[in-house]
Amino acid sequence: MFNIKGFIKTSLVDWDGKITSVIFLPSCNFRCPFCHNKELVLNPNEFENISIEEIDSFLLENKDFVDGVVITGGEPTLHKNLPELCKHFKEMGLLVKVDTNGSNPEMLKHLIDQKLIDYVAMDIKAPLSNVKKYCNSTGLEEVNIENIKKSIDILRKSDIDFEFRTTVVPTLHTAEDIAEISRFVGRESKLILQNFTPRNTLNNEFTRIKPYEREELKRMAEIVKGYVKDIKVRG
Amino acid sequence: MIKMRDDGFRPKQVLIEREADLQKDATDLSLFVRTSDEEIKKWNRNKITEALLRETDISEDAAKIIAREVEKLIFSLNIENVTAPLIRELTNAKLIEYGLEHIRRQHTRLGVPLYDAREIIINHNKENANVPHGPEATNLTLAERIKKEFALIEVFSQDVADAHMRGDIHLHDLGMIDRPYCSGQNIEYVKKFGLNLPNAISIARPAKHPEVLIEQIIKFSAALQGTFAGAIGWDAFNIFLAPYLVGVDDTRMKQLAQILIYEFAQQAVARGGQSIFSDINLYWECPKHFEDVPAIGPGGKLTGNTYSDYMDEAHRFLQALFEVYYEGDALGRPFFFPKPNVHITEKFFTTEGHEDFLYLISKVASEKGNTYYVFDRGDTAKISECCRLAFQLRESDLEDAKQPWKMRYSAMQNVTVNLPRIAYEAKGDDTRLFEILRERVELVAKAHLQKKAFISKLLNLGKNGPLALLAMELDGEPYYRMRRATFLLGMLGLNEMVQAHTGEELHESNDAFFFGLKVISTMKKLADEMEEKYGIHMPLEQTPAESTAYRLAMLDMKHYPLRATAVVKGDKNRGEIYYTNSTYMNISVPISSIERVKKDGKFHPLIEAGALTHVWLGEHKPAPESIANFVEKTFKNTQNAQIAFSPEFTSCLDCGKVVRGLNENCIYCGSDNIEGITRVTGFFSKINSWNKGKIGELKDRYRDRAI
Ligand code: SF4
Ligand SMILES: [Zn+2]
Repeated sequence: MFNIKGFIKTSLVDWDGKITSVIFLPSCNFRCPFCHNKELVLNPNEFENISIEEIDSFLLENKDFVDGVVITGGEPTLHKNLPELCKHFKEMGLLVKVDTNGSNPEMLKHLIDQKLIDYVAMDIKAPLSNVKKYCNSTGLEEVNIENIKKSIDILRKSDIDFEFRTTVVPTLHTAEDIAEISRFVGRESKLILQNFTPRNTLNNEFTRIKPYEREELKRMAEIVKGYVKDIKVRG
Repeated sequence: MIKMRDDGFRPKQVLIEREADLQKDATDLSLFVRTSDEEIKKWNRNKITEALLRETDISEDAAKIIAREVEKLIFSLNIENVTAPLIRELTNAKLIEYGLEHIRRQHTRLGVPLYDAREIIINHNKENANVPHGPEATNLTLAERIKKEFALIEVFSQDVADAHMRGDIHLHDLGMIDRPYCSGQNIEYVKKFGLNLPNAISIARPAKHPEVLIEQIIKFSAALQGTFAGAIGWDAFNIFLAPYLVGVDDTRMKQLAQILIYEFAQQAVARGGQSIFSDINLYWECPKHFEDVPAIGPGGKLTGNTYSDYMDEAHRFLQALFEVYYEGDALGRPFFFPKPNVHITEKFFTTEGHEDFLYLISKVASEKGNTYYVFDRGDTAKISECCRLAFQLRESDLEDAKQPWKMRYSAMQNVTVNLPRIAYEAKGDDTRLFEILRERVELVAKAHLQKKAFISKLLNLGKNGPLALLAMELDGEPYYRMRRATFLLGMLGLNEMVQAHTGEELHESNDAFFFGLKVISTMKKLADEMEEKYGIHMPLEQTPAESTAYRLAMLDMKHYPLRATAVVKGDKNRGEIYYTNSTYMNISVPISSIERVKKDGKFHPLIEAGALTHVWLGEHKPAPESIANFVEKTFKNTQNAQIAFSPEFTSCLDCGKVVRGLNENCIYCGSDNIEGITRVTGFFSKINSWNKGKIGELKDRYRDRAI
């Protein structure tokens, strides 16, 4: 009944401080050229479904280690039964985190209001004032920026913990773009700058892009420190 | 004219060159011997006789006959050059002809064919991942070749030597037969006695300043490295350094940490271009057995306080140390040595400041991978060294702890049992399998006794012997405390043994896993029996597999091709094959870190001399809090004895950038002039210096998002 395409039993990198299991749901409404989950986005049916029983048996056996479940994709909020899936894990006594691109504020609000999730990581692909850039970063002709903004607002007003993430790609983002994103998300927010890796990208040409050096990302982070609650460089 | 020249290896060996007009007049024949002093002496057939009499049990008459026969043979040969080894081998051939096989064995010549010498001098030694290529390194390789042959002929009995050559067992470090395996000690020895080594040109008094103390410790480590084959470990390093650190400010503290790490890391000049395999054991809390010990301070004098009074200094040093590990070397790469083993005890979690410290060392683990987390649960105290070797302190050691300079431990030797082969030989018969296992463990014990006897002989030569350093008696007993030596029983390929015997690998079913546990607990029982029988303490150890996993897999492919093919791991077509290390599960199947840590951990209580689980990070850098979380849960919820997190790096030799993950090209400049850095055995190393089996293992290693 749940359409689960991937399961990683142990992850130390999907939720800071937590030991998690990661669940991958198929399909996405974006086509970010730097996306690493190309197959899951473009050809989700090539993967077999993983049964929830298999996942549960691992989780039950290893509750002494696993703190929570991370639901990612693709774009999890595209799935109507996401609330049920979250509930399923909450009832097992696990924490739940959802990764989203912010395109479905209603679903996000519902999950938060129903107390079905404990943490959200939301991608911000480009400065929100620049529709052109947002389109470039998501590989789309048009993007509903209002929905993204709504999602940001929902998170900022909620009482759950969350982070915003931007994958920084030299051909897509400048230091000024990062500054603008930081100003937009503001003081209540934690922002993560994720370094782009030129490997197995949705748009093949992106494998030829030379990433920013870590030091450069750190410099960007340093500049915008004052705009946000916390800023970190990952990768 | 025929000249005989000593080749410098053994004084009586000669090189003969044959004069062109030899046949013209045999009576005019003049042969010359060139000795090691490059003095030329006249040919004398009696040299052969003398050599035979000196080296073997042959009777004088027989020796004379053999010598005359050999001379006749040489003169009848119409060749331009006759070399010393050839004369010796001709003599050996004659001995065989005369049915004097045991005399021939005594008369064996050790050496290296020209071809091999050329290969060794010009190409890289792949057997030990830690040896760079260079004249010093090739000296070592050449010397080891000869010592290895020496060991197999001279030190071990024929059955033991044959078992090694066949691959039933593997005798480690044969090329270092004249050294014990590894050594763990306490810096109190250096603090109390200064640097006072036999044959040293100058003697240094106990250090007054921490800089000097650290220098002395490193020099002493280098000296020890010259008399041990494996690791040099230092116990509770920061605790014992602390009395020297009173009043040291932060800048100097950091410099001290840098001196320590860089000096150890860059000691590759020390031995055959090989780094000192150094371990420093570290504690956040003062170990119970050292709390009330009177502290030795500057000048080797008692300070009037005990070690628990210096915890502030001990902590500050630890922080500085891990800051240096975090930064890495000039390019930001991890330091290969010294390995920091952080001991985690029950008391750790109740000691103030442990959260911040755990965060710091986990940050290092995530970023550089250096940190080893050693779990000392309950009341056991351990000292750990080498790749993954740990000693549990016994009652008598705790007595020694009151005089910590006395705490000197050593493993004499490490012998590994080839487990898959036992399964091949047992042909599915359980009883037979355990019978053979018993025979093998017996054989290992025998090998240990023989090595023990040999080292004892060297030690008994005392000050004038080759192990003078270990015979020194600064505190009233020899540095090497034979009674405290342990004798390691290693195992290789439990996974393949179980697979060959039951049809399933360790991870494939509970039955297979429990059979594996049964094998290891039987080994432990057998080892304990040997202790009763022969008085040698024989703890089980996870073999530092280096080349063994490859060598034994290759030998089994040769001797048991059908059975071995079915279970050997790696790429058979490319010859990159291996057996899975010790008691590990197959590294190429997706088993999560949690399951590995738990399941590996089930073996750890049986493997007294240390065991370790690697948590592969690859390109991932978890948040330090996540690592700390994992470490705490491993301590509290499993029996696992030790874990380390293993990142991988690609270091570009052209643009100098270092990135995480193993890549074929530099992601910044595209260069393929790169070095991969990862950990396959207990320590980091560069991939270009690996043997084939290890490359196969790397290719098979299961990776996913985080583990
Ligand atoms: S990176 Fe973009 S395309 Fe890929 S899953 Fe996320 S939102 Fe979808
Ligand atoms: Zn480069």
